[in-house]
Amino acid sequence: MKTYRVIYHMARADFLERTRRYSFLIMIGLVMWIGYAAATGKMIMRIYPDYTGELNSAWIGTLMALTVSFFLGWFGFYLVKGSVARDYETGVGQIMATTPLTRPLYLLGKWLSNFALLGVMILLLMAVAILMNLFNNTPLNLWALLSPLLIIALPCMAVTASIAVLFEIISWLRGGLGNIVYFIAFLMLIIPSIETPNYLPLLDILGFRLIGDNVANAARAIYPESTGAFTFTITTLSTPKFFPFTGIEWKPAVVIWRIVILFLGMSTAVISSIFFDRFSPSHTSLEKKKTKRTNHKQIAFSEPIANIDIHLTPLPASRIRFRFDVILLNELKLLMKGQRWWWYMAAIGLVIAQFVNTLNVTYILLIISWLWITLLLSKLGSREIHHNTHQIVFSTPHPVVTQLPAIWFSAFTLTALTGSGALVKFIMMGNLQSILAWLGGAIFIPSLALFLGVLTGTNKLFEIVYVLWMYLILQKIPSLDFVGLTIDSPWKMYLCIAFALMLASAMIRQTQLKTK
Amino acid sequence: MNLTISQLSKQYRRDFWGLRNFDLELKPGVIGLLGPNGAGKSTLMRMLATITKPTTGTILWNGDDINKFPNNLRKVLGYLPQDFGIYPNLTALEFLEYMAAIKGMDSKTTRRRIDELLVLVNLVQAAKRPLRSFSGGMKQRVGIAQALLNDPQLLIVDEPTVGLDPEERVRFRNLLSDLSGKRIILLSTHIVSDVEATATEIVLINKGRKCQHTTPEKLLEQLDGEVWQWVIPSENLSALKEIHLVSGTIRRENGIQVRVVSKIQPAPEAEQVTANLEDVYLKEVSQNGASK
Repeated sequence: MKTYRVIYHMARADFLERTRRYSFLIMIGLVMWIGYAAATGKMIMRIYPDYTGELNSAWIGTLMALTVSFFLGWFGFYLVKGSVARDYETGVGQIMATTPLTRPLYLLGKWLSNFALLGVMILLLMAVAILMNLFNNTPLNLWALLSPLLIIALPCMAVTASIAVLFEIISWLRGGLGNIVYFIAFLMLIIPSIETPNYLPLLDILGFRLIGDNVANAARAIYPESTGAFTFTITTLSTPKFFPFTGIEWKPAVVIWRIVILFLGMSTAVISSIFFDRFSPSHTSLEKKKTKRTNHKQIAFSEPIANIDIHLTPLPASRIRFRFDVILLNELKLLMKGQRWWWYMAAIGLVIAQFVNTLNVTYILLIISWLWITLLLSKLGSREIHHNTHQIVFSTPHPVVTQLPAIWFSAFTLTALTGSGALVKFIMMGNLQSILAWLGGAIFIPSLALFLGVLTGTNKLFEIVYVLWMYLILQKIPSLDFVGLTIDSPWKMYLCIAFALMLASAMIRQTQLKTK
Repeated sequence: MNLTISQLSKQYRRDFWGLRNFDLELKPGVIGLLGPNGAGKSTLMRMLATITKPTTGTILWNGDDINKFPNNLRKVLGYLPQDFGIYPNLTALEFLEYMAAIKGMDSKTTRRRIDELLVLVNLVQAAKRPLRSFSGGMKQRVGIAQALLNDPQLLIVDEPTVGLDPEERVRFRNLLSDLSGKRIILLSTHIVSDVEATATEIVLINKGRKCQHTTPEKLLEQLDGEVWQWVIPSENLSALKEIHLVSGTIRRENGIQVRVVSKIQPAPEAEQVTANLEDVYLKEVSQNGASK
């Protein structure tokens, strides 16, 4: 009983702490939009060439399960990750380490909190699903509507929640590198789950294969010529051919395997306790160890103080004069500080690759380059809150007029430099449209980062929105294309939005300077 | 140079005021702000530092309302908050350079000033180490250095000696005394001895209201002949605390030496001793009740 109580209170405190953040509300908004898009046919599952299911409870539920498994399985990781890291950063972990709390129990509590957070999203989606079903004027079949979310999406969330815990306790996966590893690993793991000749339930954590096979069978029943291959995207079909879909056949074995996946998620969190150092300061990261080693010679910091003469040269008030270039240089230094040599090598490599490849590949490489700087850009606007320097920084003269533009410009410089290979190529080709679209992208990206950072005070929302956005651009969705990848790219509109975002950032920061 | 606070109030919730009808006129010197937890010291300091908006009242810096013209004050303000952070990947030197840039200091002045400050806060040898490797006391010293970067005319320091070792505390007190001649220094702390060592004026604050604003000498005069000291058996301490204000205890071989604030002689063997600020502070807080 005591164990349950410990886990419950740990998970509860952690859950409440995270749900009371503004960013959580924004995330809910985003998830609900995804649900809406899935239920209204904006986000579709297409069986090649142009077959899709009729909008009914089973189809909406299945499509939502697919959407949520994919997006929350991928980006939910970034949403829930950070709770163990926070205990490291705030020192709460060290307090916990002095209690009888065991490592598996602590991690189980963290897993439960992650799972609850993702579970809330699914509950909300269920509500959206019911509402959308009613709005579509189709008969409501609750089981057909909700069972895919419960049986497919929920176990998937259990695994996502546990991987977030695992990544947080392995020191080198705790930071940005872990985010990138997960981003790539997620995509890499989808392919084998779909392409294996036989259905392997344990490999199909997202449930893509399960859904795909059931939907393909339904399509083939009406259109035998259908290949069964499916795609999942935001687009509209010009001449869609509909087939009725009565839902996934819930064979006992299928349900049992999904329950196994749920427990697998939970047990992964418990098993990962073997990597957990229980907040021991002696288990520092390699980087920290290196820092300590290199500084051993300098350790004698406290010198005898009695004989040191206190002397400060007075500064005339007229010496206070703002120089934008100095502030910009310091902001740029702050932005880039802490990056390792391999980060720069990869960035330079991508710039060269942009230049030497064909135009189509250049665009892809430009997007990858601009994704490469995600973790740096995501600090924009939220850095002061994150590092608790806001009181010091906000009490300096003219922070909105001097510092905020310098922050934006430093990010623009970084974005422009990492995309410079493509720009040179566009200039050499005399491709004015591409040059202007490139400029629009280079202005829009830091504006979005700054706005979301200032608005939420965290880096996560930008990381999620931006990576998702770039993924959708790669899917060639014209309305979202601010980099000019597609012919119909509305880059001019995004340029206008960029200026609006800059203005909004300044206005929000102005109000933040003085708490009400 | 003067700072005038008139009828300043800050309401956090409908039924909770952090500060209420606070008046204060400050001239150059070290002004010690003393009060228990939740008394309103940090609220007052944040409003003076232009990062919190008052609910009512005004703060005038040389006649300018800082709510309307915050930058007039920010140009000459040095602020060390009670709870502040640093950028872990920057070195102490880089952090100070960064702060100097956003404070609008020119490069030449910056370099010399930072060099002097690093000597002053005893961080010369650690200047090029990343701040993430700094101890709490070292971070506090970086905070002190950034507050002094622009040679502020108004220096607001909230619990500045937290985390400093005794040597560094003494050093900081000396620094405040040295700096106080041409500027207003507002020092908030729980450590009464820090105020005793440096303050030219003292403001006692409790439950969001000003209790007293006077000089340390006048404050001590209030308890002239009211502080007593003697040794009692350990088991009598609880009973004594119920009838008298005990401002200090020291364990001795023959019992406990107690220090009591009382208008009348509390015991035949009690001897009069000179009052200190701690006695005054405890009497004031006990009379008005602690804030939280």
